[in-house]
Amino acid sequence: MNHEFIKNPYLPVEAKVEKIIDETPNIKTFVLKPSQKIKFETGQFIQLTIPAIGEAPFTPSSSPSQTEKIELTVMKAGLLTGKLHETREGETVGVRGPYGRGYPFDDFYNKEVLILGGGVGMAPLRSLLLSLLEDVDKFRRIVLCYGARTPEDIVYKYAFPEWQKKKKLEILRSVDKAAPGWNETEGLVTVLLDKIEINLKNSVAVVCGPPIMMKFGTLKLMDLGYQPENIYLSMEKNMSCGLGKCGHCALGKYYVCKDGPVFRYDMIKDVPDIWL
Amino acid sequence: MEFHISRADWEKFLGQILRTYRIYAPQEVANDLAYQVLVPENVDRTIYGTYRAVQPLKTFFSLPQEKVTEVAPQPEKTIVLGVKNCDLKAISVMDKIFLEGEFVDPFYEMRRDKNLIVSSDCYQPKDTCFCALLDNNPFPEGGFDINLSPMDNDFLLEVGSSKGEGFIAPIREDLKEATSDLMENREKKRKEAKERVVEINKEFRTQKPFPSIVKEEYASSEWEEAAKTCVECGACTNICPSCYCFLLVDTKDGGEFPKVKFWDSCQHTGFARVAAGINPRAKLYERLRNRYLCKYEYRPENFGIVACTGCGRCVEACQGKIDKREVIKKLEEKSS
Repeated sequence: MNHEFIKNPYLPVEAKVEKIIDETPNIKTFVLKPSQKIKFETGQFIQLTIPAIGEAPFTPSSSPSQTEKIELTVMKAGLLTGKLHETREGETVGVRGPYGRGYPFDDFYNKEVLILGGGVGMAPLRSLLLSLLEDVDKFRRIVLCYGARTPEDIVYKYAFPEWQKKKKLEILRSVDKAAPGWNETEGLVTVLLDKIEINLKNSVAVVCGPPIMMKFGTLKLMDLGYQPENIYLSMEKNMSCGLGKCGHCALGKYYVCKDGPVFRYDMIKDVPDIWL
Repeated sequence: MEFHISRADWEKFLGQILRTYRIYAPQEVANDLAYQVLVPENVDRTIYGTYRAVQPLKTFFSLPQEKVTEVAPQPEKTIVLGVKNCDLKAISVMDKIFLEGEFVDPFYEMRRDKNLIVSSDCYQPKDTCFCALLDNNPFPEGGFDINLSPMDNDFLLEVGSSKGEGFIAPIREDLKEATSDLMENREKKRKEAKERVVEINKEFRTQKPFPSIVKEEYASSEWEEAAKTCVECGACTNICPSCYCFLLVDTKDGGEFPKVKFWDSCQHTGFARVAAGINPRAKLYERLRNRYLCKYEYRPENFGIVACTGCGRCVEACQGKIDKREVIKKLEEKSS
């Protein structure tokens, strides 16, 4: 054993909060500059530490090709995210990673990629979308179906106009409850799936959002004719180490931090109670 | 090559090295066996040939509480004596978790590296021992550095690794080659030991192996029954030699912000709960069932090893008097 340099996977590196963007009343995007470059693949996650408070996993919403900075889109949901929402630009947090298995691009080449996103689940999907757009010739077509509770709860509002201009990318949006001025669909995001035409023989579907949305989204995709081998899910669990050792993120025999967070549905469909 | 050494010579050797190594030996404490640090005065009180000590072997490698944001100074060299096969099998699960995969736990690795395991055959099981029900033997067959098989005033000594080989080099002259009589005697004692464990567990015999029953009876009503007396104390997970789950906690210490790794328990309510409040195992019986699945289905699927090795510590420790063997037997009974 070489004792001069011991790799410690529990140790984070410092990251400066460069910019904070208010997305919605309870969601913010944090642009971080880690003191050491963190090279990640779309769909992998990093562990963010707030000193003395705690640590939690977040999947970057920025593209991996942006190497100096990492963007995290975070909903205020508990202790750590609450404290994170109180940080100011210029303050320091800790990051370690990247961990887990990201989206398997090889399986998406030459296919129609259907992205089904709900609420803040759009965070990893934005990273995926940006990566797909950077290499758009490799994919037949990209369809984004995105839903939020209300128009105010839509994340990346400023990005959609630019995305609407992209060839090969089709966007449909819905809100559970419309507001004056909303002229797109009203209803759960799954109703958008009835409005698109996809070549099922040559398509993959990627789903991310709240657990209940992922459950009904996946079931609807199966109803439409998708096979479990063509559906990719970003599963979420309580995490502690992020290294496949502490046991907290267990999903049946898998550890979400190590065997996921991106899972092909056929791998996990027989695990009891995966939607909880 | 198998050796034969007198107890006197072995204890003389221990006396010579107990300043170079911190040696832990199973000795009688409150009608049970617990690891004690060896000093010249207690070397001869070590009990080799009976059941496992109270403390699981994992205690020496994955500490109950440990700072992990700084690599601590070199741990001292340690020896653990009298380790039984149930602990050896269980530690191989811990090794796979902490030493394999993309990331290695440097703290566990250092302590494991600096440690020597001297195991022993187990000729006197406890009422709670059930290694044989899981096709394990009450004697080590691998995973040790040195194994001692007690015979009256002598030991049969088996070397299990190059570390063990180096360890006994200083006393090579005191080691005689084991005779075939001694080897046969050991075989006899080992066979009897296994029969004793089987006899103790007569009432818990099942038609199918434990892992199959647990796997097939996910939906059984027995899980809720079994969990009725559970008080979520976490004794089972603390004392189990193959339970490795932990929690990383961010703390403040003066101007420093160390991360501390604590033993954790999947039996506690919040183990899998997420920030939004959703809890995949909100009910106690779901957590109890999950632990059995972890030991008998998930870890074997990951590693090919049944993580429960039949040491029986959880049966002894359970405040709610839940006996794993009884639960599994009832699972099978309710199924038919």
